Amino acid sequence: MSRGNSTSLHLVAFLLFLGGTGYLCYSGFSENSIYFLNVSEARAVSADKLANVRLFGTVSMTDAERQTGDPAGIVFRLEDKDNAAQAILVRYAGAVPDTFRPGAEVIVEGGMGRDGRFTAKTLMTRCPSKYRKENRKG
Amino acid sequence: MYVFASTMLFLTLLCAISGGGLALYDIWRGRCDTLPLVEKLHWFTTAALLLASAILLHALYWHDFELKYVAGYTDLVLPVFYRLTAFWAGQEGSMLFWALSVALGGTLFAASGARKSLTPATRLWHWVFFYAIVAFFTLILTTWSNPFIAQTPPKDGNGLNPLLQNPGMIFHPPLLFLGYGGFAVPSCLALAQTLSGKRNEETAWFRLTRPFLLLAWPALTAGIVLGAWWAYMELGWGGYWAWDPVENASLLPWLISTAALHTLIVEDRSGKLGRVNVAMIVLTTVSAFFATYLVRSGVVESVHAFGDGSVGTPLTVFVLAGLLVALRTAFTGGAGGEPLAGPGSREGLIALLAWVLLALAAIILVATLWPQISKFWTGVPKGLDATFYNRVCLPLAAIVVVMAAFCPWLRMGGGANRKNALAGLVACMLVSAAALWMAGYRQGTALLAASAASGLVYDAVLILKNRAVFRSPSTLGALGAHLGVALVTIGIAFSGPYSGDEDMTLAQGQSGRIREYTATLLDIRSGRRPGYEYAAARIEVRKGDRRLGLVEPERRVYDKFGAMQFSEVDTIPGFGDEIYASLLGFDGEKRVVVKISVKPFVNWLWIGGAMLCLLPLLCLRGRKSGSPGPGQRERNPSA
Repeated sequence: MSRGNSTSLHLVAFLLFLGGTGYLCYSGFSENSIYFLNVSEARAVSADKLANVRLFGTVSMTDAERQTGDPAGIVFRLEDKDNAAQAILVRYAGAVPDTFRPGAEVIVEGGMGRDGRFTAKTLMTRCPSKYRKENRKG
Repeated sequence: MYVFASTMLFLTLLCAISGGGLALYDIWRGRCDTLPLVEKLHWFTTAALLLASAILLHALYWHDFELKYVAGYTDLVLPVFYRLTAFWAGQEGSMLFWALSVALGGTLFAASGARKSLTPATRLWHWVFFYAIVAFFTLILTTWSNPFIAQTPPKDGNGLNPLLQNPGMIFHPPLLFLGYGGFAVPSCLALAQTLSGKRNEETAWFRLTRPFLLLAWPALTAGIVLGAWWAYMELGWGGYWAWDPVENASLLPWLISTAALHTLIVEDRSGKLGRVNVAMIVLTTVSAFFATYLVRSGVVESVHAFGDGSVGTPLTVFVLAGLLVALRTAFTGGAGGEPLAGPGSREGLIALLAWVLLALAAIILVATLWPQISKFWTGVPKGLDATFYNRVCLPLAAIVVVMAAFCPWLRMGGGANRKNALAGLVACMLVSAAALWMAGYRQGTALLAASAASGLVYDAVLILKNRAVFRSPSTLGALGAHLGVALVTIGIAFSGPYSGDEDMTLAQGQSGRIREYTATLLDIRSGRRPGYEYAAARIEVRKGDRRLGLVEPERRVYDKFGAMQFSEVDTIPGFGDEIYASLLGFDGEKRVVVKISVKPFVNWLWIGGAMLCLLPLLCLRGRKSGSPGPGQRERNPSA
């Protein structure tokens, strides 16, 4: 195969690939991107931006309570990591991770309701990393 | 003793700087007077790092809490196995381990005959890059991340988090580091041969470092697979991959190295893509450092709270410098190669496959960094959830498997080498897709991936019909790895979209249903084992009238970790559905809340993963590392 012919074919294949992947990425970026916010940032933005959002914060040392009689669910205050005065009440109905406890850093994904409560679809606690020891009793 | 260990690290740093500096000085003068000295220095660097590592292991074994590191990651009741493997449990130790694996790799290469076949110019360049990496590690170890910081010894240490006391988690980090470190020697040699301009006089770098490539890639793969398995078995959420930044970070070097291994086949056979391969192998090493940067710097929020950010800046500088060297060398070093045949050829398809793998790496990189990137135009950062990755990355991964299935039946230069086999492959993929569709599996990506996997199995069966294959460990290794890919693909294609789970609240004797399975709580048991108290739910699982078995998920409270409860999942394994049970807790009325999941074909992922890690090792028994391949013979008949 001549050099020019082969290059053209590769170019066509590359453009097709680029087009397909570009479309996939474009639709993915526009439809699946959500706001990543600390609690204080979430408190500062307008309510319309909080319909689908990922929040980073710390579980309050008080007020964390299991929903009555249901280990698979919890209501807790999520505080900003740097400013505990900034907090949001979070309600979560799924399985609570092992490492969830007051003072734990957590990530919640969900949306803010009209009552000012955040309903989380997912609740993740920070992994018990080998590279830090703050998450231990010490 | 710990002052001595720190001194060893400092002397290693001095040796690495001196070695690299002397080599550069000789290159600048166009001489090689100091080469013998430069080549002896690595013995000292490796010996010093071995000594420092031995001292750390000694301290871990003997509970020497005078060392802050030992007190931070072990305690008096930690079994000796976990105590010793705490060597890489913290940032400082893991950096030392990585440095040691790089140093040992360099020494093994230096001790091999391969080094002697190189010209002095290439050897000097090789040591420049190699010592740069060693110097970087030892700079970190002597400044930001020293494992030999002493303190007034406490009575007991902090202990290792129970979630991490799992064989999967013990071997996951060192395998990743061995993988990362293993690519260092090939990368340094690739750059060295390009910069010395002696490539035509020497055996190609990828042939000389073939054992490194063939060990590093399976080690990296094993590290990733073990990490996924640990998450599945230990964390209790029922998944194995969450597209978290830290997980994504390990995929970057894996994707680039996988692409590189394939384009190296093209160079090996036909002498093409030489500069591309140099760039790819160096990018592999650079991306390994970048992965560490993502993990340790805290630049993106992750569920993994790794690192305190202290090594973020030096890693950034090193990664940027590496990237610059890689790109400059690749685009300016040596003349362009021969033209590549069209996409209808094996070499063309391999090149496209490599492009898709690189595109995957690029997409994952951009998506992972999206919260940072989006800050350039918005004050409110945006990120991407798992849906994005599943939507964009999984179809591309399925296309890679399709391409891999077609490769064996195409000639290197173009056209089909066995038209019947190619037609059979297409028929096999169409029939399996139709069968899956009729069986109700209609998710597009899963359907494409599963039919492509069946194509890979078809390839393997057809190739194995040729008895001569059994005399070639190299071919068997490659075939086994691709069969592994097929099984992994099947595992992901089914366990991903077709899993189901149900949270059940059960009193003793009560049952819950999930799909065609019934779970009945037989009883609740509690008690004490060394180091923790536990409560277990004994649950019988039936499919119709047939008893499948018992699952006994537990919740544990460890003595060292306060009121925190840890879940211990249990499974009923199967080649079809796997039953996965995780005990969520107890309500106020002596009922258990348990998550029962059905995971179709998930074990094929682990079986395929094991094949992917182990079978490529057969290639080590193939062609000797220094012997030329057909491509080189074509270009250099005298070789």
